[in-house]
Amino acid sequence: MYLNYIIKRLFSAVFVLFSILTLVFFLIHIVPGDPIEVMLGETARTTDREALRHALGLDLPIIQQWLIYLHSFFHFDLGTSLHSKQQVSQLLLEHALPTAILSLASLFVAILISVPLGILSAVHKDSILDKFSMMTAVLGVSIPNFVMGPLLILTFSLWLGWFPVSGNEGVTSLILPALTLGTALAAILSRMIRSSMLEVLQEDYIRSAYARGLTKFNVLVFHALRNAVLPIVTILGMQLGTLLAGAVITETIFAWPGIGQLIIESIQKRDYPVIQGCVILISFTYVLVNLVTDFICLSLDPRIKLDS
Amino acid sequence: MRTEKKISQTKYLLILYVIFFQFFISSCKDSNRETIAVGLSTSPITLDPRYATDAISYRITRLLYESLVDFDEEFRVKPQLADWQKISPTHYRFSLRKNLKEFHNGSPLTSEDVRATYQSVLNPEEISPHKGSIDMIKSIHAVDPNTIDFKLFYADPLFPGRLVIGILPKELISKKHNFSRQPIGNGPMKIISFKNDKHLKLKRLDDNKIIEFITLKDPIVRVLKLLRGEIDLIRGNLPPEIVSWLAEKDSIKVKKKKGSTFTYLGFNMEDPLTGNYYIRSAIAHAIDRKSIIRHVMGKSARQAEALLPPEHWAGNSDLVSLDYNPDKSRRLLAQAGYNDSSPLRIIYKISNDPFRLRLATIIQSQLKSVGIEVEIRSYDWGTFYGDIKEGRFQMYSLSWVGLKIPDIFYYIFHSKSIPPHGANRGRLNDYNVDLILELAKFEASLDKQALYYKDLQKYLLDILPYIPLWYEDNILVSKSDIKGYKLNTDGNFDSLRYVTKNN
Repeated sequence: MYLNYIIKRLFSAVFVLFSILTLVFFLIHIVPGDPIEVMLGETARTTDREALRHALGLDLPIIQQWLIYLHSFFHFDLGTSLHSKQQVSQLLLEHALPTAILSLASLFVAILISVPLGILSAVHKDSILDKFSMMTAVLGVSIPNFVMGPLLILTFSLWLGWFPVSGNEGVTSLILPALTLGTALAAILSRMIRSSMLEVLQEDYIRSAYARGLTKFNVLVFHALRNAVLPIVTILGMQLGTLLAGAVITETIFAWPGIGQLIIESIQKRDYPVIQGCVILISFTYVLVNLVTDFICLSLDPRIKLDS
Repeated sequence: MRTEKKISQTKYLLILYVIFFQFFISSCKDSNRETIAVGLSTSPITLDPRYATDAISYRITRLLYESLVDFDEEFRVKPQLADWQKISPTHYRFSLRKNLKEFHNGSPLTSEDVRATYQSVLNPEEISPHKGSIDMIKSIHAVDPNTIDFKLFYADPLFPGRLVIGILPKELISKKHNFSRQPIGNGPMKIISFKNDKHLKLKRLDDNKIIEFITLKDPIVRVLKLLRGEIDLIRGNLPPEIVSWLAEKDSIKVKKKKGSTFTYLGFNMEDPLTGNYYIRSAIAHAIDRKSIIRHVMGKSARQAEALLPPEHWAGNSDLVSLDYNPDKSRRLLAQAGYNDSSPLRIIYKISNDPFRLRLATIIQSQLKSVGIEVEIRSYDWGTFYGDIKEGRFQMYSLSWVGLKIPDIFYYIFHSKSIPPHGANRGRLNDYNVDLILELAKFEASLDKQALYYKDLQKYLLDILPYIPLWYEDNILVSKSDIKGYKLNTDGNFDSLRYVTKNN
């Protein structure tokens, strides 16, 4: 049963990835703008432009280019950057690690803020604490990363002098970008945890737990939160996309050398192989995380039926 | 029992807390940076002068390599590595100066290196963007280690000014060395590292001072980093209101110098609306450039009347300024058949740079006041540039950066230079313009060439294929402990050769 489910999910994941690969390939070739122009500038001679176009295979019919790309892709070759001539896989490796670190740190920040805030709001429903924390959550969702980032820099770097403004030099450089990304996610998560907890707290087994003389902490964390966390795990998986999209902006603000910065620069330079590599990596991560999320849900709640 | 447990828990928590803050505070301490750090808005695309076309790459390669010639403040050619002699109109002899600096790998710079550099640019397999500017070279011959001859297919009086590509060691050229990431020249600085294409470290050879270039796209972050002392200076690319704000800070120094970056409004001459002289002239007289420069650009620009600034040896300082005259503009519109009941509607394309977009909305509002309805369409650079080259526009604005040799006019306005053959994006096809350009091109005397170009600039101001807007100033914003940075019209980073920092 499990094996069937896994195979079915893997097949659909491969189909999704293939569709993305194809869609992105054609979309970036349709978009106006020419990598040759960016590489050679305006002053280059027409013959040189054509020679370079030929050398890079950009003069071939688009379908042929696509087939060549697919052939290389299935041979684990993502090509080389049109500009730096570096292997795309090497570029992705260099930039994926900082993004992964940033995303995990943001996730950690989000959980650290949202779990206590959500539980407290649910337990003390309609209290000042609840209203305050939910108001903070609304603020967190409403403030975009490009505002939150500079605000945090202004406060913690300039006024308090605690952290560097930007860069990638140790743990201190990670804190502000992680806070920027994490607070927005925390805002969504704390609201989710609150509503999920409120629902669970009404259940009979919670009352039974109290009746058995368990402490409030035990009931809340081991009985209520464990059951309330299910929908949140699903949301977390889905939020990964938001986290990666947010990373594009946050990395630019904090000069964090991750995938976000790489994709923006390659789009500006129309560096097709690098754009494709980035998009594939992001979609692969997204599909993988959703797959893992499903399996986590399965293990958290065995009542979830596989065929449904 | 319970109290004891609580006490021990609190103790552990306190210990953890102390350890965390110890770590936190130790990692937060600012390192005492000895280097001079420069904040850039974009990274250099390449450090190989044979392929550098963007302004940042050009400015940084100047620090790593030296070229045969350079330009003075009036954009006249001056010797750098070599002096030259015109043996005939198609034969130039360059003599390398004595006691030249060696390449960074220790090998001496000789005429063979010069020959190898220029031959690699001309090599069809190399596909250098600069090939077009030197394709009049017929042969290059190293006469002796210090002398090199260039023979040309046709006479080109501006030829010496074209030899501005940094010289590379011959031995490494033949080994296909990756100069783009591991540059080896004989310039005043050598590379230390180039991390992630974002963090370039160079060493100044005279005093071993490290100069860092850090790419920070966001101008606000660049400024905050400067204020916190994480970088020491920023050259340009800051919104004028931020520059004015910074100028009031005690810890910051702001310097300005007249620049040559030329911003203009371009027209599609093949479009039925913008191809009409009355309409172009009406637009020109409806734009209040003085107000824009004063109030929006923070006085960091000067009004332009032509492509080349008046101090350029081929610039024209006698041009009569296009005056701001809304009444005249309305009259011209009426002559073209437009009035308030049937207003003129124009599409204005620009890039998505926030500051350019802001300027465009101001121009839109000024044109509205004379009855011209402007629709702004803003695109990402690739799309915008693609449209401009293909002629899919009525009106657009752009800037020309780093213009030095006056034959750029041929490239921008000659009817044979319509893209992809040149940058005549507006599709100007004017017999007089072509004639002056041809005469100037084959004129042996530079003084007479200058006269042709001066006439041409006057004529262009009459027919208005472009509306000249302004020349943007070069701006330096630095920490007050940075000394000795001298700005120049070209906007290059040459002052980093000697700038100092008082720690």
